[in-house]
Amino acid sequence: MYTTVAAEQTVSLAPHEVFALFGSAHATGWLFSARCDAVAPGAIVSMQLPLDERGGSRGVDILGRLTRVVPGAMIDIEHTQPWRGRICLRFRPAGARRTRVQVRASVPLEGVQWLLHRRGLPLPEPADDGAVRLGVITSASGTGAVYSMSAELMAELAVDEINADGGVAGRRVRLVVADDATDADQAADEARRMVRLGCRVVFVNSTSASFDAVRRAVRGRKVLVVHTVVNEGGGVSPTVVRLGERPQAQLDALAAPVMRRADARRWFFVGQTYVWSHGAHAAARRAVSRAGGHVAGEDLAPLGTTDFSDTLDRIQLSGADLVLSTLVGADEVAFERQSEAAGLRGSTRTVSLVLEESTLAHIGPRASAGLQTALSYFQDNPLPGNADLLARYRAAYGPWAPPVTSLSETVYEAIHQYARILHVDPEGDAANHGRALSRRRRGSHGDAIGSRDLVAPALYVAEAGPCGLEIVEAVREKAGA
Amino acid sequence: MESENLAFDALSDRVRRRILSALGDEGELTVTDITDRVGAVGRTTISSHLRVLRTSGIVRERRVGRNRYYSLDTDGAVRDAFTYLQSIMRAGVDDLQQATSAAPRESDRGVG
Repeated sequence: MYTTVAAEQTVSLAPHEVFALFGSAHATGWLFSARCDAVAPGAIVSMQLPLDERGGSRGVDILGRLTRVVPGAMIDIEHTQPWRGRICLRFRPAGARRTRVQVRASVPLEGVQWLLHRRGLPLPEPADDGAVRLGVITSASGTGAVYSMSAELMAELAVDEINADGGVAGRRVRLVVADDATDADQAADEARRMVRLGCRVVFVNSTSASFDAVRRAVRGRKVLVVHTVVNEGGGVSPTVVRLGERPQAQLDALAAPVMRRADARRWFFVGQTYVWSHGAHAAARRAVSRAGGHVAGEDLAPLGTTDFSDTLDRIQLSGADLVLSTLVGADEVAFERQSEAAGLRGSTRTVSLVLEESTLAHIGPRASAGLQTALSYFQDNPLPGNADLLARYRAAYGPWAPPVTSLSETVYEAIHQYARILHVDPEGDAANHGRALSRRRRGSHGDAIGSRDLVAPALYVAEAGPCGLEIVEAVREKAGA
Repeated sequence: MESENLAFDALSDRVRRRILSALGDEGELTVTDITDRVGAVGRTTISSHLRVLRTSGIVRERRVGRNRYYSLDTDGAVRDAFTYLQSIMRAGVDDLQQATSAAPRESDRGVG
């Protein structure tokens, strides 16, 4: 069920001239500070909803893609953040060199609920329907919205597949999703609500700050907390499980090879002022030192930073020829775009730890060329089962659905793994389920979708090229690791 | 008064969120009840928040004798959300007028 909100305006320009203003620098970011590198079907677009009139925050990003473009006549946008909706622009001739511009937004019920919740209203509490409730916290707004674009879709896909398969121990599974706004306090509030609603598990597909807040908020409540994105590790217990990549393994795969290839050894670390970057940079210092390099400087920025000019100055002054970025989401997008614009690509090579397909698409091909990362899943990696997974995903959410990433694939597989555990042991407590989920899965026939080892995943090194992230190396596991 | 300008985004306004959350949990409360539940701020602050929330249509007031009871007005809140969406949509297309004056016109590019 969608509701439409529309507005229109007649302007003194020809239709193709108005059309050309969309996302252009000339048009001071029309519409809603739109940014898109190309006006063509499939192009990534971001816009800003001005939510806070007091200027306390930079607003909320609408993130999506252009799905239909007729030059001079129409632009259709499908977005997944902060809710799944559609925005249609129409340009119609209205006399000599005049154009009637119509903007229509289709807002689903979930979008209205998101707005009410953001306004401060408690979300409606669904009546008990006997289903097993799984909580998933993602970021539909804030810095993390960029890398979370497919997270909710992939969580939903997993739950739909589980239900199609008969559910868990004879019961249906129901997803309870919430947006933490990339804010730790909000994540804790949402987790408390999930516990109140009877969720026995909360998957945190968000920052380590949100994960920590959730872990504290539900301590002693017999609820399993599972972190499903790349993280620095630590803080685990039988009821607290952390899956996904670790910076130590990522840097082992990235640091020495990039130093060799670039014949460079002076590093500059750029990250955020919270536990993720603290942990990742500590791992990076060890990796760099083992490889015979040294750290010329480090800069940490709070989540939500949009201007990195001081950081770029510092990098240039430091004489570094290698940059490690542990920035995430919109901050990483801003940093890489500004790095390229400042000419840093000529003097430095950059490795980035949270550079998945969605963040990469927002950085754009020009600013991302040559960036390297090491993650456990890439959409274009021909792992057994991946083509089938992508086919199911596209069948469910359409050709323009955001890319499947390491972060969203991990929450998808984690939900499937948890459901299998719960199916076998429906009476078990959170600690039993946590221990089962923490057990390593070593596939006898290598890495495959649906049976990936999420506890210590196999990594692939990839480099950003004109066609996206191209895998340059499958990292072989060290003996005894 | 600060809360007179009620921003749409309550993420940064914990007091307002706590008021609404208390009303969501309890259904109907007096100013004193709300002040007790929210904590940390005084009755005057709570009252001024309630007045703004009432004006926006998010909270309704019921008077019984000298007592006033407050509760969430979900329909009002939905209307408020649409009014907000409508207003930013309006502002979005209005920005176009400004954008067109800054745009380079093809006729100005001097191709002859």
